[in-house]
Amino acid sequence: MTTLLSFQDLRKEYFGVPAVRDLTLDIRAGDVVGVIGENGAGKSTLMNMVGGVVQPTDGEMRWQGEPYRPRSPGDATARGIAFIHQELNLFTNLTIAENIFVDQFPSRFGMIDRPAMRQRTADLLQQLALDVSPDTDVDSLAPGERQLVEIAKALHRDAELIIFDEPTTSLTPRETARLFETIERLKADGKTILYISHILGDVKRLSDAIVVLRDGELVEQGAAADFDVPAMITAMIGRALGGLYPERTSEPRDDVLFSARGLTQPGILEDVSFDIRAGEILGLFGLMGSGRSEMARIVFGLDPLERGTLALQGRPLTGGVRQRIASGLAFVTEDRRAEGLLMDAAIADNLSLVAIEEFGRTPLAFLDKTRLARRTGQMQADMLIKAGDIRTQPARALSGGNQQKVVIGKWLMRHPALFILDEPTRGVDVGAKFEIYALADRLAAAGSGVLFISSELEELTGMCDRIMVMNRGEVMGGFDRAAFSDRDILAMAFGKRVPADEVAA
Amino acid sequence: MKRISTLIAGAAFATAGLGIATPASAATICFAFQDLETEFWVAGHTAITRTLEEAGHTVIERNANEDANRQLEQVRDCIAQGVDGIIIIPQDGESAVTIVNEAQDNDVPIAVFNRPPSDLSKGIVVVADNASIASQAVDFLAKEAIASRDGDGKLTPMIIVGDLGDPNAVGRKDGFYAALENYPDDFNTPIEVASDWDAATALANLEAAVTANPDIDLLFTSSDFLFPTIRSVFEPRGMWAKRGEEGHVVMGGLDGDATACQLLKDGYIDSTGVQDLYFEAEAALSAILAAIEAGEAQPNEVIEDPGFALTSANLAEREMDMWGCVLLSEGFLDQ
Amino acid sequence: MTDSGPRATVSGRDEFPAAPSVRQRAMRLFLSDYFVLYLSLAYFLVLVPFLPTLSNPANLANILSNMWPLLVVAVGQTFVLTIAGIDLSQGSVVGFTSVIGAMLLATSASPDVLSNAPIWGLIIDEAGGPLANVPGGVLVAIVAMVAAGAMIGAANGLAIAHFRMPPFMVTLVTMIVISAFAIFLTQSENIRNLPESYIQLGKGDIVSVYFGEQAESRIPRRQIHSFITYPMLIAVSVAILAHVLLNSTVFGRQVFAIGTNRRAAEISGIPVRRVIVLVFTISAICATIGALLYSTRLEAGRPTLGDGNFLLDVIGATVIGGTSLFGGKGKIIWTVFGVFFFVLLSNTLNLMNLSSFHIDMVKGAVIVAAALLDVLRTRLIRGEAS
Repeated sequence: MTTLLSFQDLRKEYFGVPAVRDLTLDIRAGDVVGVIGENGAGKSTLMNMVGGVVQPTDGEMRWQGEPYRPRSPGDATARGIAFIHQELNLFTNLTIAENIFVDQFPSRFGMIDRPAMRQRTADLLQQLALDVSPDTDVDSLAPGERQLVEIAKALHRDAELIIFDEPTTSLTPRETARLFETIERLKADGKTILYISHILGDVKRLSDAIVVLRDGELVEQGAAADFDVPAMITAMIGRALGGLYPERTSEPRDDVLFSARGLTQPGILEDVSFDIRAGEILGLFGLMGSGRSEMARIVFGLDPLERGTLALQGRPLTGGVRQRIASGLAFVTEDRRAEGLLMDAAIADNLSLVAIEEFGRTPLAFLDKTRLARRTGQMQADMLIKAGDIRTQPARALSGGNQQKVVIGKWLMRHPALFILDEPTRGVDVGAKFEIYALADRLAAAGSGVLFISSELEELTGMCDRIMVMNRGEVMGGFDRAAFSDRDILAMAFGKRVPADEVAA
Repeated sequence: MKRISTLIAGAAFATAGLGIATPASAATICFAFQDLETEFWVAGHTAITRTLEEAGHTVIERNANEDANRQLEQVRDCIAQGVDGIIIIPQDGESAVTIVNEAQDNDVPIAVFNRPPSDLSKGIVVVADNASIASQAVDFLAKEAIASRDGDGKLTPMIIVGDLGDPNAVGRKDGFYAALENYPDDFNTPIEVASDWDAATALANLEAAVTANPDIDLLFTSSDFLFPTIRSVFEPRGMWAKRGEEGHVVMGGLDGDATACQLLKDGYIDSTGVQDLYFEAEAALSAILAAIEAGEAQPNEVIEDPGFALTSANLAEREMDMWGCVLLSEGFLDQ
Repeated sequence: MTDSGPRATVSGRDEFPAAPSVRQRAMRLFLSDYFVLYLSLAYFLVLVPFLPTLSNPANLANILSNMWPLLVVAVGQTFVLTIAGIDLSQGSVVGFTSVIGAMLLATSASPDVLSNAPIWGLIIDEAGGPLANVPGGVLVAIVAMVAAGAMIGAANGLAIAHFRMPPFMVTLVTMIVISAFAIFLTQSENIRNLPESYIQLGKGDIVSVYFGEQAESRIPRRQIHSFITYPMLIAVSVAILAHVLLNSTVFGRQVFAIGTNRRAAEISGIPVRRVIVLVFTISAICATIGALLYSTRLEAGRPTLGDGNFLLDVIGATVIGGTSLFGGKGKIIWTVFGVFFFVLLSNTLNLMNLSSFHIDMVKGAVIVAAALLDVLRTRLIRGEAS
């Protein structure tokens, strides 16, 4: 068999940080290749390079032996590369035929040649065993059928390589089975498939070959037959721990600080209950779409909650964001730039943001600027924020780690009882990560509770007293520090259920 | 409000005296007008600037774009620039009073042209006398109607009146009656047709009136803008005919726009009363220039424009005194 | 998937040599709070030799008197722009509240003019408005105007904050509705005969200076020019108050936080809705005070006051001052300088005897240039910071 697509020392850096490192790989024509890796392992970056969305920093791609340098998604389409995304790119208000021909309507005498369009669409649908009329509106189709329309679109353009990115997330089991049949059929027709998924069993079942990425590197590849699911997980997680995390300096206390009971919001959370003790760091692990960040937003009062109760320090937690902050809640969101910081405002203004009303003097709430300067200066020293003049330097000018320290610092100004840290080390270099871990430890030692949400399992096992695992809006179970096992936790995150009583104390 | 006036001998800011050098008889006049959106204002504006420039005066023009506040600021700028006199076409009667006061407080003579301020006691104010203009136009119509009378019976006159809430409309109606009073034996009581200054209303009422009184001998419309409406009622009835032709109704109006000028030339109508824009411009100018010569900073005077009637008889001789005809000769209707 | 790698901040600091280069100095001047003031003064000095009238006391007095009402309205707009909003309804509030004040205070009214208006007989008649000749009536009328203005502003703010409607749309609709309502109230007529004590607020001077006779015009003319006037006191007080509010209070910090990043402000517990409602209320109150000054200098309540290009003047002057259309950046002192520059610009264009069409074209071009500068400045500051 010939090589359809190959990468030679392919590298992509974002602002000097490598997302894909010197990757060399051949993809043979006619194969189904499963691509697996943790969030952030470089899968999307690699696919974006293939699709012409981003350009490599270094290295080379070859398509059917020729150098391949797509400048735009259009270049990729022209070569015969098609993407089937998680989010489908269909016009739901148009018919199937119109969607398939949307970028080049066939014309006769300057008019759209509808009979030709219909005929071609009917052929494609038949090929995919989708028994609907070409004139059906897309918005009357089920998600699985829509996906088939996407595939029909790819076939219409004579795609040689079809890339599936998490295609089964919104499908029912029956639709999934049909998709797999379709993939088999495509393979039989000689198409090449790249199949990206977190559902490792599916990957193993479908693929001829499996490629494992970790931290932007190709760590393992081979025939699918040589992998089993545990081996795949081991390959994805990889390296050993050690030296990356500070010693924990305290033990959780006995008193329950925060408790959630029966949190339910249709489609997002299903009967979630857990407690956090004073001085405890509770890790929350889950894959994308598991509901981990959504739960944090609900607890903080940003998103609605249909059923369930929350209590902090014995008092029910209700009302809007302001009321919950007043009750002692703090929330470091996962999106630091958009939700955490006033990027163009001075560091001192960011530090004083949450507690600003404490600096007002009556009447009219005149600012006590002296006290404000003293407190923000203190906080800068406390948090070891490396900056120039905090009164003039904007937050934008800080490194990622220092920015995160500013976000945590602004909450500390109000001495909250419970910290929710959502991906606090995302986009932060290794040194600053350590400082943030140490800070979490300090908060716990001072008696605060910490809910530590992360998609990096390693940092959770390194820092937490307990880890709770979520999947599809439900708590699957939990592990005490002594029982931490990457494989078990990951397996649970992928959907393996364990009695929840270990978590809900 | 106590005004603490400090006397500073000499000029603290020694910039005065460098102004535009002008010949002894020439003056710098600020002409602040409100807008140039209707043909009437275009004609008025041209009348003023032309006359001024021909006499060798310098004109500083200011267009307020229908913004009274902006006009006030512009007049103040003119005063600061050291103009000798000001002529304004104000946005409305209210702001005119404020602006006249502003100029007079600064010892600059000012004349208000064409749209009277609500207070006529201050400044040089040129106003058109609607009643007099209407009566001149109607007098000619009456004579024409009498001259072309067939038998001895009384003639039937008709008037289309404007919105009687508008003083202009009242003046025009009064002028109409005043003119007919001179011929008590020749005319029946006039038939009044209401228009409310609205073409659709005029059309409906005129149709009804003409159906009831098909044998009218004289028609006067309070504004020329209704001639197209009249035509659409008269033409199907054979009443829209040229002078001397069968069915011609002696007809006249007031305003003197370009359409009226054309109809007069074509012979469909017999007279139209006109505000004598050129007289008004001339009068405003000579009053301002006289005040400047006399060193009078707060001239107060009301100048009435009696207007005139442009008729089939004097068309040749006075055509170019009527603004509508001037516009017509410049191709206004062709645009 | 989080493959959009960290946006590493590249420090540019060590690229700069120790001594500031000419370019750096120019940039520092450009980024300074006083940039627009320097620009205005330079503009003034360059033009004086060509337009001698420019520096004459009468003209300076004019520039000042034209500044005050515009400044008051622009101060309100500064608050709104700072939270990344825009208030298009200010002009209509000026017209509407000027009618409110005048119909309450007029000492007499003519039935010829106003008898068709719906307020005739209800609020105003031949004997004037209900507060005519009432002791303290002027104060009551002003309170009524401010209350009316504040209600309109609060309605704008509520729609924007609670229903998350775009400010552009909300205030555009308010502009159309309020100005139509004002015209309806008087049937497009103006209300005259305002009491002298009210008019003094817009015209009264406190310190005037006599410069002797002016020799330039043919008639010798007294030169008495007002420099310290009631409008000046009112405008300067409003500006100082606004400056303190924006710079030295908790509220001011909250305004900046919302303008910089509304989402982050919300999550940090800033009472975002309350602040937005207050900001639009302040904007409308400033427009009302502007209405007071404009309508008293014209000695009438006018429903059409604040029509036309007025909004261009207000937003233009504010943006020229340096307040950013993107929010998060605004200073009252900038607006003071922006208004000064804008009024100076209009004045010089008038003195050049340009037609009003040309003047508006130049003004428009200057505002576009200011908006471009805003973009450039933002980029420079970010470039310098990272």
